[in-house]
Order: sequence, then C-alpha cells, then structure tokens
Amino acid sequence: MRSASIPDRRSLDGFGLGTGAEAWRGAVVRAVAMACAAAIFILPLVWMFSASLRPPGLPPPIRFELWPPEPTLANYSAIFGLLPLGRYALNSLTVVTAAVPLTLLTASWAGFAMAQLPRRVRGPLVAVSVMSLLVPVMSLWLTRFLVFKWLGVLDSLLALIVPAALGSSPFYVLILYWAFTRIPAELFEAARVDGCGAVRIWWSIGLPLVRPALTAVGVLSFVYYWSSFVDPMLYLSDQANYTLPVALRTLQQLHPSRWSLLMAGCVVVTLPVLLVFGLAQRHFLQEHRGSGWLGR
Amino acid sequence: MYRFQLVLMLVPYLAGLALLYVVPALLAAGVAFTDFDALSPPRWIGLDNFRRMLQDDEFWNGLRASVVFVVLAVPLRVAGALGLALLLYRSCRGVTFARAAVYLPTVVPDVAYALLWLHIFNPLYGPLNGLMVLFTGSFDGTVPGSARPTGWLLDPTAAQIAVVVMLAWTIGEGFVLLMAALQDVPRELHESAAIDGAGAWQRFSLLTLPLLAPFLLLLAIRSTIWSFQANFVAAVIVTRGGPYYATSYLPYWIYLNAAEYQRFGYAAAMMLVMLVATGLIVALQVGASQRWRAASVA
Repeated sequence: MRSASIPDRRSLDGFGLGTGAEAWRGAVVRAVAMACAAAIFILPLVWMFSASLRPPGLPPPIRFELWPPEPTLANYSAIFGLLPLGRYALNSLTVVTAAVPLTLLTASWAGFAMAQLPRRVRGPLVAVSVMSLLVPVMSLWLTRFLVFKWLGVLDSLLALIVPAALGSSPFYVLILYWAFTRIPAELFEAARVDGCGAVRIWWSIGLPLVRPALTAVGVLSFVYYWSSFVDPMLYLSDQANYTLPVALRTLQQLHPSRWSLLMAGCVVVTLPVLLVFGLAQRHFLQEHRGSGWLGR
Repeated sequence: MYRFQLVLMLVPYLAGLALLYVVPALLAAGVAFTDFDALSPPRWIGLDNFRRMLQDDEFWNGLRASVVFVVLAVPLRVAGALGLALLLYRSCRGVTFARAAVYLPTVVPDVAYALLWLHIFNPLYGPLNGLMVLFTGSFDGTVPGSARPTGWLLDPTAAQIAVVVMLAWTIGEGFVLLMAALQDVPRELHESAAIDGAGAWQRFSLLTLPLLAPFLLLLAIRSTIWSFQANFVAAVIVTRGGPYYATSYLPYWIYLNAAEYQRFGYAAAMMLVMLVATGLIVALQVGASQRWRAASVA
C-alpha cells in the first residue's frame, strides 16, 4: 500500500479538505473568516473610541464615519470638569485594591482546604458551591440588601468589599479547588511529615503550583469589581462614595445626548480593564493554558 | 490539628455562602409572604403576593419578555461560542489576536457597554444606521423603502431583538470554555478517523460534537441563568424597559417594585418565581440532553 493514500498531517489543519490546492484554499477561507470575526467583535470598541475623539461643538455625524474630522481629546478634559471623576476613580481603585487581594486570599484558602479535606466533607461543599452558581444573583440582591443593612456596611465602600472577604464567588473557589486537586497529594503529605502547618503548606507549596488559576481568578475578580454597577447602584446612596460605573450613569443623566462626551466616559471606565486583560490574556487564550484555569 | 487549621481556612468562604446565598434565599422565601416596605415591620399576608401576581399584567409581561430573551439568546450564544471556538482553537498566524478580539467585548464594564450600544443604535447619528445607509446607498439618513431611519429601540419587537443582538458580543467565557475543550480532544482521534475515510462533517458530527456535549450542556445552563439577569443593565440604560414595556424583563420589573415602589414583599415573591422559572428551564435542558444521550446510545 502506498503511503500517499494516508492524508498528510497538514491537510487536517485546515478544514479537512484534501491536499495541495484544496488545503491551500481552506487555509485562505479560514484566514478570511478569522479576520471577519476579529473585525466584527472589535468594531463596537473602535466606534466607542472614535466617537470619543469627536470635537465637542461639532454637530453629530449624518453619514457614517469611522474616524472623526479633527480628532481631539477635549471631551476627556470636559468630563473631568463636569464630575468629580478623580474622586470616583479613587473609590473604584480603593475597591479593587482591597477586593482583589482579599478574593485571592479567601478563595484560595477555601479551595486549598476543600482539596485537602476528606471526601465526605468535600463532596457536600462542592455540591453546595455548584448549586449556588445556579442561583441567579439578581434574585438575591433584595435580601442581600437586608443582610448588608444588618452588617452595617450599607452606603459605604465596605458594602462592595465585604463579598471579597468571604471568598467572593463560588466560581472562583471552584476554579482554585480544581487547580489544587491536580497537585499530587504526596507533596502535601511530605510537607506535613516535616511538621509544616496548613497555612505554611498553602503558601509555599500550594500557591506556587496553582499560579495560572490564581492569575485567572485575579483578572476575573478585577474585571468584576471594577465593572460592578448593580451593587453600588443598590447599596450606595451618598454621591461621595460612587464608583466609576455609577458615575458614568450620572453623566448620562446629565448629558443624555452628548455622545462624544459619554463615549469619552466609557473609554475612561473601560481602559483599565482592557489593560489588565491585555497583560494577562496569554494566560486565558493560549493553547492549553485554558485548561489551567478550567481545572481539567 | 492539621484538619482544624484547614477548617479555619474555610471559615470565610462558609460565612460567605451563608451570608450571601443561604440567608438571602431564606429571607426572600420569608419576605415573599409579607407586606413589607422596609419602614414598618413586615406584616404576614400569606399567599396574597402570589394572588396579586396572577392578576398583574406587568408581571406576566415581564416573565414573557424574560422567557423570549432566554429562548432567543441561549441558542445564539451557544452556537456563536461553538462556531468561534471551532474557527480559532488551532494555532496559526494571527490567531492570538483574533482570540483576544473575540474576548474583548466580554470584559467591557456593563454600563460602558450599554451606553456604547445606545450610541450604536441611535436612529439618526448612530454608526449602525450609518453603516446600513452606506450599504443601501441612500444618503439622507433614511433607509430606502421605509422613508425614515430604522428606529432600533422605538419598535417593541425591534427593541427585544436589539437587546439580544447587543449582548451577543459578550460570549468570551463560553468561547474560552469550548476552545479549551476542543484543544483537549486528542489529535490522534481525528487522524485515525480521517484515515478511516471520515470527511470533515462526519468527524465533526460523530467525533467532536459528542465529546463536546457535556461542555455544551454546561454552557447552555450557564447562559440560561445568565440570560435571566444579564439584560437588567440594558433595560436600565438602553431601553428603560420600553418601548411599551417590551423590554421590562422580570429583573427590571422586580427592581422597579422594590426600589421605586417600596413593595419589597411583592418583589421577593417575584424573585422566588424567577428562581423557579430558571430551575425549570435548566431541568428541561438536563432532561433533554439525557434523552438525547440515551437515544444516541441505543
């Protein structure tokens, strides 16, 4: 039998179309599809940015334009004059600098402990965590309000930080739990025999081995706490405590039709998230890195 | 001793589960049977809130809007994530950029995202109509045949579709999940199937799809739960529940009742109904997938 009858390895990389010219055509089709997908998903963000550069006095465009005439940064200085955005940015920053490390601490503690505890304790804990993921959070916010009132944290930034001190979300705990269960138990056993305590083992053996999962939880929780809008809208009433997303809504209420101004506000709120994501994206999107945080 | 230390490390999370999930759920179950305005203490009224719901047109409208959204959004999101994952899971030149581009809209903060789409949908100056005019060749800001700009958010049906469309860009999480699942399918399986003469479609339907089935189910369940709540910010900022209550989804209607009308008991009762509705749809999906599995084994 001739070996040529076996499709060569490269032909499987395209759309599985034969060899030679057909494989080449498949690669071209795929490249075009990839470019279209990327363009479609990035277009709204391009529109956000280009609209924010439109000179403030100019009437809105009647025709389609991808880039404004005479782009300017005037809208950015204008929004900082209209609202105490510095103050709100500081609030947002306070929340994430407190919430992200707290999340990493409490969620990795919980994940580590769950991975180490005997099966009969671990099983129900995992089950409860998965079940709480199934509950729509929107259906709990009203009574969370009552709990937060009872805790005395309403109308302060603490209301936004408290969940982080409590593991943040079962999702983060489960990601870290799955990562910890992949570490061979013998490693922990050996450290225990040497007389290490649980916290010591978590810090010097566990954490270094779950770095990818830890990074993922760090980024996800940063995005969550930075973007959170419903929580501050419900739990804060004093304007001095507003975070950037709430400020953005205030800006909309002040100037509902000044689009270049509003889009500049959107860029200010979005940029930090894009930066953090850009720095960390290889952990999410590169081949076989994904399995690190999905925990399989 | 060691085990005691482990339990201590678990305490914050256990407290979180109790304070953020269990207690609020129990409270909601209790408050739902009371008349409560958060000023005077709750007054027990039995099933009155649920009776009232039966006659409340706005409630039924909200439930219908939410279910329509779920029915439109979940298949679109799962299929979209699957298509993009199939396109981008293999490495090649430029793939990292394309993956990042697909994920980016997912991380844009909700409010900024909603405002951006309010801008995009603007009938006169919005880039979407601008783009359509560019393609249809009319230059006075109108779409030929309708004699006026397409009002995405002015017509009830169009507004419902517009909210589904704008949120279809945020499928990064499902995309990453399916991409990782596809990368875990052993190459050798594909190669041996190809050697046995299976074409691309056969390899996809008989090999990839069954291996992916658990992840697709997981994604469908997560999208369902997500879809019941994720349109809240869009309803607040983009449509304000309109036009003619077309996008007054259940969470928005619950929010209005609690935050604006101070009807906490009634709002809690509706939250319970939303919880049950989510549970029912998830159970339906699990049941359907099990029947599908049983049928494919037989």
